[in-house]
Amino acid sequence: MANTENTGKWGMVIDTDRCTGCMACVTACAMENNIPWTGEEEAGYGRGMHWIRVQRLWHGEYPEVKPEFTPTMCQQCGHAPCEPVCPVFATVHSEAEQINLQVYNRCVGTRYCGNNCPYTARTFNFFDHEFPTPMDFYLNPDVTVRRRGVMEKCTFCVQRIHKGQEKARAEGRPVKDGEIVPACAQACPADAIVFGDMSDSESQVSHIARSERRYQLLPELGTEPRVTYLKGGGYYGG
Amino acid sequence: MKNPKALWQRPVFRIGIAVVFLIILGGAAGGIYFTQLPPEQPIQFPHNVHVGLGAQCLYCHPGAVSGPVAGLPSQSKCWGCHQQIKKQSPELEKLAGFVSRREPIPWVPVAIQPDFVHFNHAPHIAAGLNCESCHGNLAAMTVAEPQKGQNMGWCLNCHQKMAPENFTRLSDCSICHY
Amino acid sequence: MSQKISRRDFLKITGVSSAALAALTGCGPASRFVVRKPYPDMPEYNQTGASTYFATGCRECPAGCGLIVRTQEGRAIKVEGNPDFPVNYGKVCSRGLTAVQGLYNPDRVQGPLKQASRGSSSFEKIDWETAIPIITSALLKNEPSGVAFLMGLAPDHLYDLVAEITQTLGSPPPLRYSALGMFEGRTTLLQAVNNIFHKDSLPFFDLANADYVLSFGANFLETWLSPVRYSRAYGSLRQGIPGRRGYLVSFEPRQSLTSANADEWIPIKPGSEGLVIAALTKLVAEIKGIEGASDHSELDVAQVANTADISLKKLQEIAHAFASADHPLAIPGGQLASHANGLAATQAILALNGMVENLGKKGGLFLIPSTSVASNFSEIQALVSRMSRGEIKALFIHGVNPVFDLPSALGFQEALKNVSLVISFASFPDETALQSDYILPDHTPLESWGYQHVLAGADRPTYSASQPVVVPLYDTHATADVLLTALKESGKVPYQDEVDFLQQKLLPLLQRGGGFYTAPEILTFWSKWLQYGGWWTPTEGLEKPNGSSTPPAPAANVAELQEGQFFFVTYPTLFGDGSGANRPWLQETPDPMTTVMWNSWVEIHPDTARKLGVKDDDVVKISSPAGEIEASVYLYPAIRPDTVAIPFGQGHTALGRWAEGRGCNPLQVLNVQFNEAGDLAFGDTIVSVTPTGRSRKLARFESREGVYGSQH
Repeated sequence: MANTENTGKWGMVIDTDRCTGCMACVTACAMENNIPWTGEEEAGYGRGMHWIRVQRLWHGEYPEVKPEFTPTMCQQCGHAPCEPVCPVFATVHSEAEQINLQVYNRCVGTRYCGNNCPYTARTFNFFDHEFPTPMDFYLNPDVTVRRRGVMEKCTFCVQRIHKGQEKARAEGRPVKDGEIVPACAQACPADAIVFGDMSDSESQVSHIARSERRYQLLPELGTEPRVTYLKGGGYYGG
Repeated sequence: MKNPKALWQRPVFRIGIAVVFLIILGGAAGGIYFTQLPPEQPIQFPHNVHVGLGAQCLYCHPGAVSGPVAGLPSQSKCWGCHQQIKKQSPELEKLAGFVSRREPIPWVPVAIQPDFVHFNHAPHIAAGLNCESCHGNLAAMTVAEPQKGQNMGWCLNCHQKMAPENFTRLSDCSICHY
Repeated sequence: MSQKISRRDFLKITGVSSAALAALTGCGPASRFVVRKPYPDMPEYNQTGASTYFATGCRECPAGCGLIVRTQEGRAIKVEGNPDFPVNYGKVCSRGLTAVQGLYNPDRVQGPLKQASRGSSSFEKIDWETAIPIITSALLKNEPSGVAFLMGLAPDHLYDLVAEITQTLGSPPPLRYSALGMFEGRTTLLQAVNNIFHKDSLPFFDLANADYVLSFGANFLETWLSPVRYSRAYGSLRQGIPGRRGYLVSFEPRQSLTSANADEWIPIKPGSEGLVIAALTKLVAEIKGIEGASDHSELDVAQVANTADISLKKLQEIAHAFASADHPLAIPGGQLASHANGLAATQAILALNGMVENLGKKGGLFLIPSTSVASNFSEIQALVSRMSRGEIKALFIHGVNPVFDLPSALGFQEALKNVSLVISFASFPDETALQSDYILPDHTPLESWGYQHVLAGADRPTYSASQPVVVPLYDTHATADVLLTALKESGKVPYQDEVDFLQQKLLPLLQRGGGFYTAPEILTFWSKWLQYGGWWTPTEGLEKPNGSSTPPAPAANVAELQEGQFFFVTYPTLFGDGSGANRPWLQETPDPMTTVMWNSWVEIHPDTARKLGVKDDDVVKISSPAGEIEASVYLYPAIRPDTVAIPFGQGHTALGRWAEGRGCNPLQVLNVQFNEAGDLAFGDTIVSVTPTGRSRKLARFESREGVYGSQH
């Protein structure tokens, strides 16, 4: 079998011109990744566990007022601010998949990583959230149910990445473009989220990422995010 | 009369410390000891007899070759043979009882990893590992016995030796932890 | 030394502490003792540890998307879209995704119940052998005219069965409605299509290929007709064709998600929509040089612009761009239909499409080649008055929650008191179920058989197939089976059970052919039907509308507001018809525009709020002649200063732990008035707003620091 080193350098492109802000990605992520709900009060304290959020920023004044929607999740930085601050190496860089990992069993809950994340993409389990039976029946067996005191964040649906790679390896072929899709991209009704292998210059995601509308979140920080955004219609000026 | 010795020099105190230490040590040793005991199973399944008769592991645990979980056989699989075989042991009577009540047999898994470890059998079988490399010599066991030291160091040790060229991928945290 | 530890004590202490330590460190037998119960008889589709995928149909709204549900060891894990299904093509919305939270909701009705007295919430468990004769006698012993069925827009197969049953019994046909149908102006749209194009079907708007789109209150990105289909088309409108970006203009008083994504949002005065359309029609006719728009010749466009709060220049610009676009498209929506002149306005929009000659053309307006049935609100009002006169002896309710999702001014709950027997088939203890004598729970959609005829979102004849993806969790029975069993002895229905009924209903499809698969007989057809999740044709099959006639110009319908009065807008959210409120993840998913979670809010323009002396999170009272409700203020920059808006879906008094006692139900302030098509003219409601002096914080996502301040 061929050497399977570095087959994945996963990347995502989000076309904000297609994005309608409908929140399907938020719900899809929660249902795939066993994300607990926190209830009104905890959500009000800002302790909601959403791994992906749709940022809504108002532009203009009435009547020319218009929101801009930016789905934001962990940007899987190539140079991640969360990684060097973890005292127990619970948040580490994956050399193989080129994403940021959160290793729940190592995490001791210092929350340094969450405080150092410029995208506020990390959420912390302040409580053991309950899935009252039989609600726990739908939990995804491929994803750990996190306990209290653990930091968590978007994983690019790494369980699906592994499943896809495993399937391809078992069939003795390389992973096909578009074969591995995270839950958000799979659900997105407007096809605004595209996921794939950025190291393959022919993949759909690399193709779209070369668009002249591309931009990244907080590029001045030098975090080398793996998520590229495409500008929407009204905001070409940046 | 005032005792001339300081507190830490008194024999009672020293014995007390020693006792506490022993209790902790004993507790730890006991805890570890208990993890190494085979748990009580609803049926004393004799792996040795079945392996001795030439049954393949994958006949009863077919999931190992194609998926993450090896799986436990459904009782209809047991019954497929045992319906034909004379019930010469009380354990088989138990099986017959479960079958007649159509009740699932409440097996206690022995080779078990914590929730945050995602182990997948299929690639290990594909890499040419034998069942007994990890699960021990079942031909010498009745019920399955826990194997010592199935921890992360043990996993990584093998990953390093088996495929050094793939070590980056095989030592990646995300390969098991997500 | 006074204390001695005996050897026995020492052993005891060691034993206890080692056990405690073992338990504490998590390596003891206590934590290791898990039990795995394999199937007694493994189903052939199952492999331990591997997922099995089933195709089924979504029933969260009437759109009828196709789903693939991932199951493992007999549990539904995740809802995904069916990639081949010609409505959603693998995509799925928030509501569909949380279907598993409906299936596994701990507050479900777990078996047939008899209520001691209505509203008492004291239930007695009964068995199905007791329940079914009650239905039999209700159906057969009563006067046929005294038996009524009230049903939702999904599922279709049950409606078809009940329609057959009522016909056999001589009872009036079942009424079907949905709160979503009310908000999208479904019956008005149907009536308008009938008047203009002489067809009983819904229109299909080819948004993906249009390049200049006018939307009049059609919130097609959230709930209107087939939101996933139209969201997908919206993506193509923006970036689907290289080098072209479609332009979207939206007219409505409150910025919905669709208006938020539009290139231009024109906040016209509520009720002036008809006039604006008439003015646009006149302008477009002038630009195109079309004669015969005489009906509009009297209209003073400048006057209209003034009334509607839109600059004349803007109106002319839009008319010009629309008239000169290659693929112009105008879409009439729910906010438009919700006024007294809603039918005329909707007709005028359809005619406007005819005027720019996009009928049956790429990027234009088509008709779905299937007949749609939906009851309008005057029919429901007629039922309510028959109920209050005591003419209804037995009322069967399935798939709707009329105590909650009909305007309370319609008087459904009071009229219910005069009905001798009320049977609810609800899966959840909703408001209506608590007002009924029996709850005979149906399976939830993921446990059910059925079909849904796609009437709005597919560009070809399409049926979605439902099949159980898991074994029913509780002692629930399919309502179709319950009705068939109840009537079995009478010999009035020719079906064995639900599956037999479905297969017989599929026979015409099998004989007709033309689908993307064929089968020699019904069992082969049935297995393919289940495998693919439905039936559809391989090629597009939309009808070109013709026979376009010039409708009369919509009359003026602009109310004058008194001091302290406001126009009132209410709109459905992620909760759909309100039944989604008991799903914790729909509650926790932020509303797209306000990011509020877990509650209701009142959208008020900041300037208006300043005048009223209220700020964010202050509780205000909204009152109308029909009733009054309270909610916290959300300062919303994208709403007309003379309008307030409250989302629909919260305000449940029942429906389980996550829905109860949360927010308010805006239907309690709606006046019961109808448009010309008999649809509810809820957009004409005028309310007054009074501060209560209290304040209640809304949980909102827009601040990651939280809304309770930084001290916490």
